[in-house]
Amino acid sequence: MKTRRLLGQALKGLTRYRLRAFFMMTGIMVGITVLTVVLSAGMGARERIMERVRVFGLENLMVWAGGPTDQTRTGPGLGGGSSVTATLKQGDVQAILEEVDGVREVAPFAREGQMEVQWRDRSFTSPVFGITPEWQDVWDWPMEEGSFITSDDNTTMARVAAIGPTVVREIFGSEDPMGQVIQVAGIPFEVTGVLGEMGTSAGGGDMDNRVFVPLNSYLRRVVNQDYLAGIRVKVEDIREMESVAADITALLKERHAIAPGMQQDFRITTPVEVTVMVEEMQGTFDLFLILVAAIALVVGGVVVANIMLLSVGERRQEIGLRRAVGAKAHHIRCQFLLESAAVAFLGGMGGIVLGMVGNVIMEGVTGTPALLTWHVLAAGILFSTVVGVLAGLHPASKAAALTPVEALRS
Amino acid sequence: MTKKSLIEARELTRSFQKEGTAGVQALKGVSLEILEGEFVAVIGSSGSGKSTLMNLLGCLDRPTSGSVILDGTEVSLLDEDALAQVRSQKLGFVFQSFNLLPRTSALENVQLPLLYTDVSDLEGPARAALEGVGFPEDRYDHHPGELSGGQQQRVAIARALVNDPEILFADEPTGNLDSASSQEIMGLFTELNRRGRTVVVVTHDAEVAGYAERIITVQDGLIVSDSHSSPGEVAP
Repeated sequence: MKTRRLLGQALKGLTRYRLRAFFMMTGIMVGITVLTVVLSAGMGARERIMERVRVFGLENLMVWAGGPTDQTRTGPGLGGGSSVTATLKQGDVQAILEEVDGVREVAPFAREGQMEVQWRDRSFTSPVFGITPEWQDVWDWPMEEGSFITSDDNTTMARVAAIGPTVVREIFGSEDPMGQVIQVAGIPFEVTGVLGEMGTSAGGGDMDNRVFVPLNSYLRRVVNQDYLAGIRVKVEDIREMESVAADITALLKERHAIAPGMQQDFRITTPVEVTVMVEEMQGTFDLFLILVAAIALVVGGVVVANIMLLSVGERRQEIGLRRAVGAKAHHIRCQFLLESAAVAFLGGMGGIVLGMVGNVIMEGVTGTPALLTWHVLAAGILFSTVVGVLAGLHPASKAAALTPVEALRS
Repeated sequence: MTKKSLIEARELTRSFQKEGTAGVQALKGVSLEILEGEFVAVIGSSGSGKSTLMNLLGCLDRPTSGSVILDGTEVSLLDEDALAQVRSQKLGFVFQSFNLLPRTSALENVQLPLLYTDVSDLEGPARAALEGVGFPEDRYDHHPGELSGGQQQRVAIARALVNDPEILFADEPTGNLDSASSQEIMGLFTELNRRGRTVVVVTHDAEVAGYAERIITVQDGLIVSDSHSSPGEVAP
């Protein structure tokens, strides 16, 4: 007997018992809706991770002042806090550039947390960075207007600043910031550049909330010290990332006189580590939701199994009749299995559609975009059908095991 | 003229084992032969074993002992799938409760046996079968719920005939019908038999049995009489 005919019988069976089919479909639909929303959110999160790693820069590593256990140094996630470890200095920058092979560019920076930025009667709290011109190259930082911090600015310890779009919006509103003098921790700086948009950092921070001043101006005029918060290093070839990181580690250990077994006073982050860190921030959340989806699917499967079992009991006459007119046991088994699989498949399709609606709602609530990839669609179709087949196994076996005489006796 | 033997039953017994009780022997050694073209009624009271006998002759069940030879083949030795094949090719069944699929048109109900064969044209034979039982063509699309009892049984008979079986079995075919419809249906069986179909009707009703040319009486799992009436003499 042709499979197409059996499938036809299964679908007709479903249309004969519409309410029952509706309940079964609903059971699966709920599970697949949750699965779709969860997976889409997960895919969206993964996409954001990749985006953040791209923002971090695949060709770059970061050397941070402070050891791996020095939690006070960094803010949540990556980088960011004020340096309390006073050992990373400008001499280290020069040494890395000269002595480590495979380094294309180095960009040192200093910062001590957030600072008050004022213009006329308005003020805003912003991360203030002391940087060199290389900072623009290693980050590919775009400019909106004016110029970035120049080499001259740095050597002359000029009181100039390049500010990010968030700072412009908060302090200047619609007024032109170029040429205006702002107070950074009480010291006046002239705005000579407006930065372009960078978006969200690997650690989730707003990279448009930035005030850049020349590194030397920052160290001498603002904080009056000589140590750095970190050094961003751009490598020649991303395949040499790990060996460059190892060479820098060895060099700095030597320069800082750190004996084997001693705690390091610096830390290196590569793009691989950024990926792992950002994933850890999402990980437990995803696992919990996938568990919820799995439970919803199991419940859906139990609903289908129960209703199919009920259906087999109530359709004994039909089963007996089919056997009497020539159906073999496996025809009966196939018919009920196909009914169960088909109803679950249709429920799965419905679940995917509802999941799309759910995605839109979730995006509205959480503000994070969901991503419906073909993986999600395939998972929805696969899991619904598998659950349908599994749920149908026992009822179908029961139907097939009925002898014609048993089945016909009502 | 000697007619060909269609079914031969030899010393059939059938026991049913119920949990915790002694087995019940529904048939206690039955032998009979049904010839091609016969119209046979198997009559007996409830529990006499007549339905068990029909199930064995109709290859729906297998005997505890004894044998059934259908068309020269020893069917009591066949496995479940082979029996299904035999039912599909050689036998047709009509039941007391019509047993039509609900919410399914008359035409589709009749097609059902063909689904389990290699026949590719389902509708042609189904239409022919419905026409053969005098079912009105304007109701081919009607569902069982929209048909009278007599019409439903006609559909069921058409379904039993759609694969052109050698024997048509009917188990209490008039049990759910009023007397007018019963007469129509029994008239239809008579007509089908006149056209050459071998018909076996199982009933407890002597009036229904009276349509047959041969009446086999079953009592307590044994055949107690097997009588032929002259053709043409019977119809009331």
